[in-house]
Amino acid sequence: MANPTVPDSGPVPDTFDEEQPRDPYWYKRAVFYEVLIRGFYDSSGDGTGDIRGLIQKLDYLKWLGVDCLWLLPIYESPLRDGGYDISDYLKILPEFGDLGDFVKLVEEAHKRGMRVIADLVMNHTSDQHPWFQASRHDPTGPYGDFYVWSDTDEPYKDARIIFVDTETSNWTHDPVRGQYYWHRFFSHQPDLNYDNPAVQDAMLEVLRFWLDLGIDGFRMDAIPYLYEREGTNCENLKETHEYLRRVRAEVDRLYPDRVLLAEANQWPADVVEYFGDPVTGGNECHMAFHFPLMPRIFMAVRREQRYPISEILAQTPKIPEHCQWGIFLRNHDELTLEMVTDEERDYMYAEYAKDPRMRANVGIRRRLAPLLDNDRDQIELFTALLLSLPGSPVLYYGDEIGMGDNIWLGDRDGVRTPMQWTPDRNAGFSDCDPGRLYLPVIMDPIYGYQAINVEAQQKHSGSLLHFTRKMIQIRKRHPVFGLGDFTELTCSNPSILAYVREMDGDRVLCVNNLSRFPQPVELDLRRFEGVTPVECMGGVQFPAIGELPYLLTLPGHGFYWFTLPQTKHSAEET
Amino acid sequence: MTTSLQALLAGWISGQRWFAGKGRAIDELTVISDIELTDDDPGMRHLVLAVRQGENVDHYQLLVGLRAELPDRLRHVEIGPVEFAGRTAVAYDGLHDTALTRLLLRAMSGGEDFGGLRFRGDAGLRTDLRSLVVTAEQSNTSLVFGDIYILKLFRRLNAGLNPELEIVSALAERGSPHVARPYGHIELEGTTCAILQEFLAGASDGWSLATTSVRDFYASPEGLGAADVGGDFAAEAERLGAATAEVHQELAAAFPTGELDRDDLVLLATGMHKRLEHALSEVAEMAPYAEGIMRVFDALAMLGRAETVQRVHGDYHLGQVMRTTDRWVVLDFEGEPGQPLAERRALSSPLRDVAGMLRSFEYAARHLLVPEAGAAEPAAGSDQALEEARAAEWAAHNRAAFMNGYATGGTDPRDHAVLLRALELDKAVYEVLYEARNRPSWLRIPLGSLEEYRQP
Repeated sequence: MANPTVPDSGPVPDTFDEEQPRDPYWYKRAVFYEVLIRGFYDSSGDGTGDIRGLIQKLDYLKWLGVDCLWLLPIYESPLRDGGYDISDYLKILPEFGDLGDFVKLVEEAHKRGMRVIADLVMNHTSDQHPWFQASRHDPTGPYGDFYVWSDTDEPYKDARIIFVDTETSNWTHDPVRGQYYWHRFFSHQPDLNYDNPAVQDAMLEVLRFWLDLGIDGFRMDAIPYLYEREGTNCENLKETHEYLRRVRAEVDRLYPDRVLLAEANQWPADVVEYFGDPVTGGNECHMAFHFPLMPRIFMAVRREQRYPISEILAQTPKIPEHCQWGIFLRNHDELTLEMVTDEERDYMYAEYAKDPRMRANVGIRRRLAPLLDNDRDQIELFTALLLSLPGSPVLYYGDEIGMGDNIWLGDRDGVRTPMQWTPDRNAGFSDCDPGRLYLPVIMDPIYGYQAINVEAQQKHSGSLLHFTRKMIQIRKRHPVFGLGDFTELTCSNPSILAYVREMDGDRVLCVNNLSRFPQPVELDLRRFEGVTPVECMGGVQFPAIGELPYLLTLPGHGFYWFTLPQTKHSAEET
Repeated sequence: MTTSLQALLAGWISGQRWFAGKGRAIDELTVISDIELTDDDPGMRHLVLAVRQGENVDHYQLLVGLRAELPDRLRHVEIGPVEFAGRTAVAYDGLHDTALTRLLLRAMSGGEDFGGLRFRGDAGLRTDLRSLVVTAEQSNTSLVFGDIYILKLFRRLNAGLNPELEIVSALAERGSPHVARPYGHIELEGTTCAILQEFLAGASDGWSLATTSVRDFYASPEGLGAADVGGDFAAEAERLGAATAEVHQELAAAFPTGELDRDDLVLLATGMHKRLEHALSEVAEMAPYAEGIMRVFDALAMLGRAETVQRVHGDYHLGQVMRTTDRWVVLDFEGEPGQPLAERRALSSPLRDVAGMLRSFEYAARHLLVPEAGAAEPAAGSDQALEEARAAEWAAHNRAAFMNGYATGGTDPRDHAVLLRALELDKAVYEVLYEARNRPSWLRIPLGSLEEYRQP
């Protein structure tokens, strides 16, 4: 990997030897795994997962094929918003462990060729943060200008209220300082004032602190909202981009192989702005989540036709050379339909409003398996789509074994229950008294830990876990999944989504049946005339591609991945 | 040109799927035009044949490829050995030879003339694309170049300007997003021989999409309505309605319009009555519906208000519309097939197209209810009633959505209910007759949709 512009086709893991240069673009090929420290493994027996517990399970993640862990907030917090209300940026939440544990986690992950990134909230802090306490008590002191204060609640009227269920205004009056403070999210989360150079510097200090500890990057929460300007909606402002470029320059200067992953729940056309200038290959964030794709995958399969996916991918602009989308099926939040509510920008919304099934899903808090009625064929199809559509896939912990959820738990806790390791007490997650668990384990007859757990699925080669692992392995054999161009193929059957991923040496053809019924498809593969497709799961050779349309038949919710090896005789004409 | 060539062609043409005179003897075959496009090897000539069968004379066009030796990949389109200007060669259907078809693109791009055969097209055409013969078509032959262009070659030539070319060119000029962009054409002395258009890669036709939705609905648990199932088509139907209205507005702006006055409507109703009577005389199952249908035709005759007419599609149904990644596109503005050109270009009520599409929804809703050949007839009883009820629900749901979409264009078809229903019923009468003659098991489709007109 001496020449980073020509990624080799070997496995992603870097050795982290000091002597050997690392691949600065590792994130373009990586498989990410979102892990909830609280819910993964409890090493101390107190009923709550911790960093040491996660370290004990790194071998499992390595076995699964994970390249990078994404940790939800690990910082000290009063936990009024799942840790997204940080009260000290430089401390680990005590129930998770301490900084020593964290450094150990990074070291152990690196030893296994894996990386670790963590959530970071730059936009706001908890109202318990010492900065805010100082700011409200001492308006003229060093922190007096750290937050956005106003004598009235009049400014920035054009900014929407994001948490409409709980908040009525973006301003809240503080009786101590006698002024209003600005908050785009909960009222206990005051926004930092990025117009203050001291805030800009303080946040860079925070970033450097963790990067120096070895962290491989950040998922940057809520970044469109850093700045406020009168007469705008206070989102995606140019000042915000300027500051991100400053952050990126600092990262590039001191930590060249780390990654900044933007959480900007916006339209792809706006999100690309967060990659920065294409001429430089991208000079803001390395990665950004592709939010609108996920609900459309669900919708396309519901409708048994590809257009919801085709349409959003066709609308997705090209991104700078060294950038990558993060794509996902499920995560710790609800199935986000925020990106389908803007009628002006996307007439696709009309389809959602008309589809009561999807409407019923707005804000639904469910895991992948229950969303798909625990239908193994559909779960496999979704996994195949996640691992083959353009972008780096992000798996959500537990979805690899088809874990269920508990809709009776409040808020988003239903999808944050303990990881199911074994059929033993507490699902093998903790040896505490069951009553001490931070959340009860899933116990229903279908998804309960006695039926669904890692141990049982590791023993059975036909399990979903083995399927997922196998698919990840195939993906890792073909860097083209991460790096290649994406071309949708012509076919007249609306239930079939077919595409080719290609990059100089490597070509993969993916054919997906979005219908529950068996379907035929005739693909125009003239470009590959003479090539013999090889199916990726079993290595079976299929008939050579000729001049006539290539006929395939797929079972309901079936899919194929083929490699299209270059042959001497292939007619590479267009 | 030798007589043996004519004998050879007569034998060959009668085996082609696009040959319209199948099953009848060819009395005479004459080559009435023979134009050399290239004398290389492979060579190509453009022929027009006059084929007489009894009183009837049809003109067919052929692009004959000529090679000294025929490679294996072209064997399946061989015509036979011939002699041209002292040179012996094997003749074959040249459209299948990718070494020849680029010549057509080059000639269009260059605006070349070969005698009376004129090639016209955008100067910026890509001429390096490989062609593929589309196998699905019955009466014409289409070539897809790369995945960019499609060249539709009319096999049976109708004298004059083809309405598809006329309409698509006019609408494209107006910037309509709902037609496939024209890039060129070939004509022989004023008769359109071929049209080159934008190929809608990644598109699927409305029929496939609608039946996907129907299939999903039928497989969903009982008790879920057509609007509740995941495969609901209404959003697509509504968008299709809006696109249809836009196309009609563009047609009205680009071509002359007129009015149907009282007398015209009476005449129209008379024709409908006649066709109904004819169907009744042939299809006994039609009888219980007759009175209800006649009442609608009578209402049309007494409508007493003028209805506007304009250029329309003429043969509008789900198979004529394509859903591309971001829009609906309307294909085949050729009017009703089998009609003379003048009639296909005649002005008509735009509601005729609306009626055609509504009928198509009825077909989409019901075609899965027809038992496939060889299957046992379903036991009579409640199942069939339930199936019919679900079909009616799907059709009503999507018909309403289509008309809602159409109404966004300014004209709500439901404000012209009498004419619309009469047009729809006229079409249904035609369908009944057609199914009774050709596919008796499908008779259930048009009859099932006429339930509200049935009298015990």
